[in-house]
Amino acid sequence: MALPALGMFLMFGVVPLLGVLALSFAQWDGLGAIHAAGLSDWRSVLSDPGLPHALWVTFLVMFLSWAAQTPLALLIGVFLAGHQPYRAVLAVIYFVPLLLSSAAIAITYKALLDPNFGLGPGLHLGILTQDWLGKPALALGVVIFVVSWQFVPFHALIYQGGVMQIPAAMYEAAAIDGAGRVRQFFSITLPQLKYTIITSSTLMVVGSLTFFDLIFVLTAGGPGDATRVLALDMYKRGFQANLMGPASAIAVILVLVGLGLALLLRRIGGGASDSQLEGA
Amino acid sequence: MEAITTSRRNFLRLVGLGVPAAAALAACSGSTPSQTGAGGGSGGGAKGAATYWFLTGQPQQGIREDTVNRFNAANPKTKIATTEFQNDAYKQKIKTAIGAGKAPTLIWGWGGGGLKSYVDAGQVVDLSGWFGQHGDIKNRIFPSAFGAATVDGKIYAMPCETVTPIVLYWNKKVFDSMGAQPPQSWGDILDLVPKFNAKGIAPFSLGGQSRWTNMMWLEFLYDRIGGAEVFQNVFDGQKNAWSQPASIQALTECQKLVKANGFVKGFSSITADSNADQALLYTGKAAMMLHGAWTYGSMKSDGGDFVTGGHLGYMNFPPVDGGKGDPSDTVGNPGQYLSISSKASAAEQEIAKKFLSTTLLDDTEIQKWIASGNVPVVKGTRSKLAAVSDKTDAAWLTFVYDTSSKAGNFAQSWDQALPPTAAETLLDNIAKLFQLSISPQQFADNMNKVIGT
Amino acid sequence: MATTVHTPSPVTAAPHQKEHAGLRRLLRLNWLGGAASWLWLAVVVVPLYWIVVTSFKEQSAYFTNNPFAPPTAPTLDNYKLVVESDFPRYFLNSMVVALGTTVPAVLIAFMASYAIVRGNGSRFLGGVSGLFLMGLAIPLQATVIPVYLIIIRMGLYDSLLAIILPSIAFAIPLSVLVLSNFVRDVPKELFESMRVDGASEWGMLWRLAFPLTRPALVTVSIFNGLTVWNGFLLPLILTQSPDKRTLPLGLWTFQGQYSVNVPAVLASVVLSTLPILVLYAIGRRQLLGGLTAGFSK
Repeated sequence: MALPALGMFLMFGVVPLLGVLALSFAQWDGLGAIHAAGLSDWRSVLSDPGLPHALWVTFLVMFLSWAAQTPLALLIGVFLAGHQPYRAVLAVIYFVPLLLSSAAIAITYKALLDPNFGLGPGLHLGILTQDWLGKPALALGVVIFVVSWQFVPFHALIYQGGVMQIPAAMYEAAAIDGAGRVRQFFSITLPQLKYTIITSSTLMVVGSLTFFDLIFVLTAGGPGDATRVLALDMYKRGFQANLMGPASAIAVILVLVGLGLALLLRRIGGGASDSQLEGA
Repeated sequence: MEAITTSRRNFLRLVGLGVPAAAALAACSGSTPSQTGAGGGSGGGAKGAATYWFLTGQPQQGIREDTVNRFNAANPKTKIATTEFQNDAYKQKIKTAIGAGKAPTLIWGWGGGGLKSYVDAGQVVDLSGWFGQHGDIKNRIFPSAFGAATVDGKIYAMPCETVTPIVLYWNKKVFDSMGAQPPQSWGDILDLVPKFNAKGIAPFSLGGQSRWTNMMWLEFLYDRIGGAEVFQNVFDGQKNAWSQPASIQALTECQKLVKANGFVKGFSSITADSNADQALLYTGKAAMMLHGAWTYGSMKSDGGDFVTGGHLGYMNFPPVDGGKGDPSDTVGNPGQYLSISSKASAAEQEIAKKFLSTTLLDDTEIQKWIASGNVPVVKGTRSKLAAVSDKTDAAWLTFVYDTSSKAGNFAQSWDQALPPTAAETLLDNIAKLFQLSISPQQFADNMNKVIGT
Repeated sequence: MATTVHTPSPVTAAPHQKEHAGLRRLLRLNWLGGAASWLWLAVVVVPLYWIVVTSFKEQSAYFTNNPFAPPTAPTLDNYKLVVESDFPRYFLNSMVVALGTTVPAVLIAFMASYAIVRGNGSRFLGGVSGLFLMGLAIPLQATVIPVYLIIIRMGLYDSLLAIILPSIAFAIPLSVLVLSNFVRDVPKELFESMRVDGASEWGMLWRLAFPLTRPALVTVSIFNGLTVWNGFLLPLILTQSPDKRTLPLGLWTFQGQYSVNVPAVLASVVLSTLPILVLYAIGRRQLLGGLTAGFSK
């Protein structure tokens, strides 16, 4: 039963990965012949001061975007699960950023962030007229903001679904016991959403590891290398600097890091096959 | 037992899903003929059908397609099929295609370091002999354009399309309102900066986020201060070439301008491809701009009466006092370059060569380039340029022609001239230099490490 | 959290008590959630408004007016440009690729998740699960070259299938992860009782697990569908002819060698988003119905 999935994944996932592993021991500029190169690619990558920096930036983006998106998505998801009449309209509007392609979003934000013709000058809000893409800290903030802008609705949807599955009976019982809104949230909603939180977080964290399109078009890793996440570093090395060997080494590193993270998350989420739901 | 039956069922299920999917795809693949001439333009697949890939964007795309159409009309049995791609996508696509042996017959490119990487991989045909046989074709073209087409003394590409030097533009209205004169030297530039800043006008517009825009400044400063040899040494792979005194001086002067607020505030967030930097000039928010000749066209169409009303001033970059460089030197794109893939079949290569010798840059095409406001890379068009009906355009076109043809040295943009690995490092360091986060010495040290790679 | 509590408010309450009931209801409203949502609405709407407004501007007027002012001379030229440039074809291609990837991917991932969860500790299935977990982190940009070579060898280059097959493979790890979690939540007793009734594993898969994990299936489908819809790298590398292009590549028509025709690009964006949005608005009820049909307790 698992065979079709396994088959597809092996052919288009694992085999290419093995190819990448092989390339990390070769020297290739993408154009000519491939030459064996032993460990030189690995040595150059591991001794490059750019690598720890890229790792750092990647983790920063990963953690900050998780920290920004999760509370927001939780709050909005819980809110949307309610019975306000207009929540249907809200939900539809919120969904739109998800539908836009990275190129579209990047073009939009690059225009909005222009210090002379963008959001700040347009709305006459001085505080919005900064050197957004020119200062490293600001650029990082921009990246995280835009990522959140695009994906919060999706995670809100997940949480909304999760909240709707919590039986009303639990809240009724708590209300009878005198628990207030806040108390209910922390004692009922959050624990019941544990798996949802893990799922959403896994999607966010692992997604951000290979997140590339948006950052590439928005900042291209800039200014300097302030937003040069690992995936971007790999792409630049391979496709722009024509160093496919070291790029492949970085790719392998990415996979190992990702694997480590995924295992960690699974450990936190509890790999047990028991359901967490009441009565199961 | 269970496992076996379910997996067989899975397989059948997969096939069952596959059939409607395949039908849908077959319907889609029975495509309408592409708009580009020969039917079925599917890259290197069709036998004996030459292919040609180039960039999107008007007016260049239209002119290229038109030339191909005329060739196809004259050679119905040996047509060329074209496909167009966006700039960044093209750069990636062409590499993967060449690397997998699926390159188009005619490879459009920027020459220089990129071309060299093709040559090193044995992917392009040596055209030196062909040019030897077709001396008339070679002589039609600007000699300065061949520099970027030559690797190790052999010619691997034919220069084509237009020549676009980098020009110093200024806004006449802004200057008049200040009673200022356009700068005649680097010293003048530095003097003008505080004057414009005091009036709340940015001295120079700059789309710094794109990085190569910053690079144009360095290209000129290097040339004006130390002459063309400074960069030539880097290009030739001379050890520690970036630490030459002229190099350090140029870097220092450049940072001087940045520190004096010579560039519009927030320039590192402004992108060049949205034309936001040009808008700064034509809306009067900036007084001057160093940019490529290609921006004339967009400023003309988007800037209202800025260009048509004669408010646009232009000149070659002024000399630096005490500098050794020839003030007639210029930098930019000496042309675009067409190479022939060495992996194409003999028949396809013949078609490509015929294209290069008959239709490419023929009179019709030249006329179209001129009409679009560009100077084609062929000699002897000055009279045609001067005869253009719009006098503002005629003045501009003759200026570009004179600058390009009379230049002592026409240096190719560094990020195209250098090999891709070094080019990437260069752009990174330039961005940091302009943000004042590294010193000239550090810039030189970083760049010295990648010389010759 | 607004109400899942249905306390009937007594109609015959004394005025004094009614006041209290009103106040209580006010206090019950989710202030924090509400504030967050309205703030977020502003954050979402502003760029969207800009996109729509700019798509009606001419490129020459684009910089001279305030970016947020409605166009002084609104024009449909950009939209005309988009429609004339083969847009319907790109849209169709994107749809085919999105559906062609999502449906098979979710189905086979579902089957795999079921097998893994119900596998009773089989070592093979444990290994498969681990393999998929690792697959979560495989970066597409790195493997794209080997994938490209495989596709060429299979003779599929420059077809929509070339995009679909690797996309399915890349969608699998994530889908399996999410779906396994939900399949795990289906009570074992239900399986036991069906088994007692003589159902086969296959039958239980479709008649029990499938309906009960609908929320997860929907979520995963949406996620995969959107990823493929906006996917750029695979279509770029694996296709070539203009008639095989998907929407993200269709934006190229407006991106030249040196500059981008922003209003036209935005018009294209609006046109590609509207139909999906309409679909979503209509299908949302179904969606939410599915989301709440999880466990009727």
